[in-house]
Amino acid sequence: MASIKMSDTLRVLNRLQAEGVIGTYAIAGAIAAFRHIEATLTDDLDLLVSIKAQGGLALVMLEPIFARLRAWGYSEFRLEGIVIEGWPVQFLPVASDLDAEALEQAENIELSLGTPEASVRTRALRAEHVVAIAVKVGRPKDFVRIHQYLEEEAVDLDALRGVLVRHGLKDRWQGFCKRTGVADPIFG
Amino acid sequence: MKPSYPDISDILARKAAARRERAQRSFAEKIASVEALRERVEPLRKAREATRIKTGGHSGRR
Repeated sequence: MASIKMSDTLRVLNRLQAEGVIGTYAIAGAIAAFRHIEATLTDDLDLLVSIKAQGGLALVMLEPIFARLRAWGYSEFRLEGIVIEGWPVQFLPVASDLDAEALEQAENIELSLGTPEASVRTRALRAEHVVAIAVKVGRPKDFVRIHQYLEEEAVDLDALRGVLVRHGLKDRWQGFCKRTGVADPIFG
Repeated sequence: MKPSYPDISDILARKAAARRERAQRSFAEKIASVEALRERVEPLRKAREATRIKTGGHSGRR
């Protein structure tokens, strides 16, 4: 396996965590989805992060992260993300019970790059949480992603049902099915 | 006269099988493929950004 830039991005994120700048983090969004479904082009890396600061605007909460990254030489912003080793990274603080559960239950994974020394450890959201968050956000591209999960049978429907019910997303799920003409495989 | 169309179900089945095969690749392989795609579209991104700056408009991305 050839080296990939994202491994260096993840090493920087792991250093942020090791130094206590961020708490736990997990890969979210499109990149998290690529663990389960076919990969397509994406511009940035979304991260769900726990941050000690309580309340306040997210960008204010994120300033200590940006300050540390600036000190390490990362100061370019692109596509609303701060560029770390070539990848615009979007930090998304936990902002709901669904986010908190998704982060807590995220899976430990290793981005395997041929040799143990080259590999990097990280965490990524489970399929049922990627889909539930997509249901909640509800943009057209989220619907496309949900459709991919269903078509590729890449999500445990029982686990997804539990997440949707726990977080009050049943109506939104049924709305997705109705709008996209998908036969509801969960609530019938 | 009613037009006659070919049965393309075999093509669609092959495409679906290819999608499933790509979905089964390792996470690292998928990230590598995304990075390769990003490199290929980078000139387009830069051109779009240059146009945005020149016109003072938005890039079309939200």
